[in-house]
Amino acid sequence: MFDWDAVWKFIVSPFFLQAAWTTLWLSVVAQLAGVVLGLFLALMRMSRFKWLSFPVQVYVWFFRGSPLLVQVLLLWDGLPKLVPGLLFSQITCILIAFSLNEAAYMSEIIRAGISSVDPGQMEAARALGMRYWLAMRRIILPQAARVIIPPLGNEFNNMLKTTSIASVIGLEELTGTAEILGAPSFSIFELLIVATLYYLLLTTLWDYFQRWIERRLDPEYAAKGGRPGRRPGQKSWAQRVLGFGNPPLESGELIAGGHGGAR
Amino acid sequence: MTQQQSYNGYQEQEPPLPSAVPQATENTEMVRVEQAVKRFGDLLVLNNVSMTVKRGQVVVIIGPSGSGKTTLLRCINHLEKIDSGYIYVDGQLVGYRLVKGQLVEAREAEIAKMRAQIGFVFQRFNLFAHMTALENIIEAPVHVLGIPRDEAIAQAMELLRKVGLEEKAHVYPHKLSGGQQQRVAIARALAMRPKLMLFDEATSALDPELVGEVLKVMRQLAEEGMTMVVVTHEMGFARDVADHVIFMDHGVIVEEGPPEQIFDDPQNERTRNFLGLIAAD
Repeated sequence: MFDWDAVWKFIVSPFFLQAAWTTLWLSVVAQLAGVVLGLFLALMRMSRFKWLSFPVQVYVWFFRGSPLLVQVLLLWDGLPKLVPGLLFSQITCILIAFSLNEAAYMSEIIRAGISSVDPGQMEAARALGMRYWLAMRRIILPQAARVIIPPLGNEFNNMLKTTSIASVIGLEELTGTAEILGAPSFSIFELLIVATLYYLLLTTLWDYFQRWIERRLDPEYAAKGGRPGRRPGQKSWAQRVLGFGNPPLESGELIAGGHGGAR
Repeated sequence: MTQQQSYNGYQEQEPPLPSAVPQATENTEMVRVEQAVKRFGDLLVLNNVSMTVKRGQVVVIIGPSGSGKTTLLRCINHLEKIDSGYIYVDGQLVGYRLVKGQLVEAREAEIAKMRAQIGFVFQRFNLFAHMTALENIIEAPVHVLGIPRDEAIAQAMELLRKVGLEEKAHVYPHKLSGGQQQRVAIARALAMRPKLMLFDEATSALDPELVGEVLKVMRQLAEEGMTMVVVTHEMGFARDVADHVIFMDHGVIVEEGPPEQIFDDPQNERTRNFLGLIAAD
């Protein structure tokens, strides 16, 4: 018999609030690490030096070509056997595996973003005396961002759900908590419903946040006056924080994504 | 081409040291190209090109497409590397350092510092698409030269006035016409207070009715005494503004001299053919 009372009881319980928090911060940290590492991988991959680009090709080949679950287990079970005494905590193990895996996907997304920027932009920056990193940071990446951000949002949506894999090594995020709390009373089904509701809540909130960011990064938004009280041309909050505003996308846009990183 | 001969003689000696730019000419020479050679694969794009540009001079390079004139210009600020030869700007070797008689590519910081003093105007404008006209102009002064933002803005507004686009300061490039974009690009280059300006077919990508406004700005710059090297197909501009005209074909300088000589009395067959084709156009 399905027990609705168990659903209501657990949905507001500290266990699940704690679990949702674990899922959220795991996702955020792994995603951020994936973006930063992915950026470096992308730049290495685009290098004209083979000794820089080839290792990245192998890296991406491995992490995209094998299941994340297997990568987690390799790190959790395999590594201590290879290197006796090296034992990560569950959380460290998950963070490392997720970050490395995500970096492989992000490196391809970032590479596509950078490639989408007209090479003339880099030339103009260099001709003005800008060095590589300055030109990257001020000129290339801000323009690549409008191509990177939509699939990045999809990646993070995926990440929120993929963290459920952490439950296999006993980490108490949403899925793991449902299994552990549900086992003694045979109410796993009810608790998985609770976990599902939390996942839906997190992904829905993220969806709104992503759309808000994308709207704010459109300079036309600021140019049209944006929010009342803003001078034309004045930058929105998101534009200032990120240090740039993007030109509006041409009609028939990439925004909708369709880059889903199914794995 | 007496210069060329003397340098040919020079090259016989071992090792081929570049002449450190002679003291006597240091104050008058802005650009000195010595026996520049550049290959793209098997294609010899620059075949032993030598030229000089004096301070305050406007040198116009003309020639058919594929003649190497754009490559030569790009080599002057090291956007392209030469395979051999030497290029000096204001007495300094461009892109390389001399270490025990060997040329070693300069460090990135040195190359960047050099480029910061040389303005470059592209055929396709290359304005930063995510920045307004004003932001385009202040970007390098603020982040490369470290000029305070307020000061950079004041200077940029002054430059926008100069190119007649003051009211477009807060407009993004995609909302500007080609001619307007190119004028902003010129202002952006000038904001670095360059000692030399290089123009790479600055009007070739423009609709005919927009060419005039860009040439007007270039003319004005020339009158103010800016040292300029201009690659162009605008023969009227070359005739009026140039102090010296260079005709290039197949990677060599075929003929050079004052505009009257090149346009009214070209000595070389190829120059005559080229100018004839242009006139018939």
